[in-house]
Amino acid sequence: MNLHIFDIFPIILFFISFFGLITTNNTMKSIVFIMLMQTAVIMFWVGVGARFGAQPPIIGDIAYLENPDAIADPLPQALMLTAIIIGIAVTAINITMLNALFRKYKTMNWQALQNLSSTEVEEDA
Amino acid sequence: MTQVLLFFWVFSAACIVFSRKAYRVIIYFGVFSLITSVVYLALGAPDVAMSEAGISAFATIFFIVCIEQYYGRGEGLKSEAIASRRKIRVTFMKFVPAFLFTAGLFLLFVNSVPTGYAFTELRDQYLRMFMQDVGGENAVTAIYLGYRVYDTLFEALLLVIAVVAVTHVSWFSSEEVPDGQHSEIENSRMTKFTMRIICPIILLFGAYLIMNGHFTAGGGFLGGLAFASFFICRYLVLGIYDLPIKKVMKMEELVFINITILPIFAVFTGVVYLVADVTPLFQNIYLVAMSALVGMKVACGFFILFYRHIAIERLPADIDKKE
Repeated sequence: MNLHIFDIFPIILFFISFFGLITTNNTMKSIVFIMLMQTAVIMFWVGVGARFGAQPPIIGDIAYLENPDAIADPLPQALMLTAIIIGIAVTAINITMLNALFRKYKTMNWQALQNLSSTEVEEDA
Repeated sequence: MTQVLLFFWVFSAACIVFSRKAYRVIIYFGVFSLITSVVYLALGAPDVAMSEAGISAFATIFFIVCIEQYYGRGEGLKSEAIASRRKIRVTFMKFVPAFLFTAGLFLLFVNSVPTGYAFTELRDQYLRMFMQDVGGENAVTAIYLGYRVYDTLFEALLLVIAVVAVTHVSWFSSEEVPDGQHSEIENSRMTKFTMRIICPIILLFGAYLIMNGHFTAGGGFLGGLAFASFFICRYLVLGIYDLPIKKVMKMEELVFINITILPIFAVFTGVVYLVADVTPLFQNIYLVAMSALVGMKVACGFFILFYRHIAIERLPADIDKKE
């Protein structure tokens, strides 16, 4: 197992935030953890195509092409650029739904929300 | 150096996971985003680093709006007190299986990750050919506006859907949001003076990013984020909520239609991919027009997202019950 450091650290971060996600009771903190997991995945893919101190893929000079191994891979960067924008849009939707939930039930605790919703279902039936 | 940066990166994330106070989560999240940007920059990805820095500002605003509701009305303090009185045994019973489960998943995942340095032929192809195929000098812009422009289309579509969802969920029965001072910071003349100087510079910077996206780091996304942050500064200075939100939504949809039409038109007329017939002038016109459209799209989207979150915070809590 000879994983590079840029492969191992994002995986560690992903599982730390996964641990937080399954142990937390706070709804806002779970959204933060989902954002952390997104960041870990993005860092993994950016790290796949480059190593520390790589040149950015902006080629104004033809001299860069003489040493192409020093240039970072542009494809994961372009894909991750869109992934970041999508991630913040998803976070905005999450927070808006959380605000609507808070307005209705006045709590930010998953356990309390679960109890409330189960009692509500019983009342409806 | 690498190890130190990455260690602090994971350490700040661990601070987020193990902190109990909600405001501290926001502070640690800011630190985490800053370190993430630095690592992206060191990895040779300036576009990704700048967009991470830009979105972390918006994420902080969204979370602060969320927390202000929680603490501002005194509801959250009670449940916080209950949570801090949790018994140690219950905590132990909850945390240990979760930790074992996560550690097992981690080991399984680490064993199955393929090793090796991924220098592909596709990368060489892109780096060799993008200046003839799409134009410009920034390979990242060339990929997301030329080779993989349909990814950008679906990203724009997802942003439209997100904006529609946010406005739908936060669309209360009353559309009028009260104006007024937001906090005591706005009374300070120093802040107003500083913002008044910063605002034109932000607009200029956004225009620079959009116009030069294909030559340096930048492009439509970052220019759009800069334009949206101009509106945040404007709100902070003036403290008024005068957003014609339906007009902005209509404009966003029109821009999205243009974003879908322009690449298809460009591909069929041979601006992109046809080497012999096309001069670099047309390629540059296409890239700048596309960057401007994407920038307008992102600016409108984040403008609406920001102002809807402000509306959530400003409206009284029982607005729906009054009707």
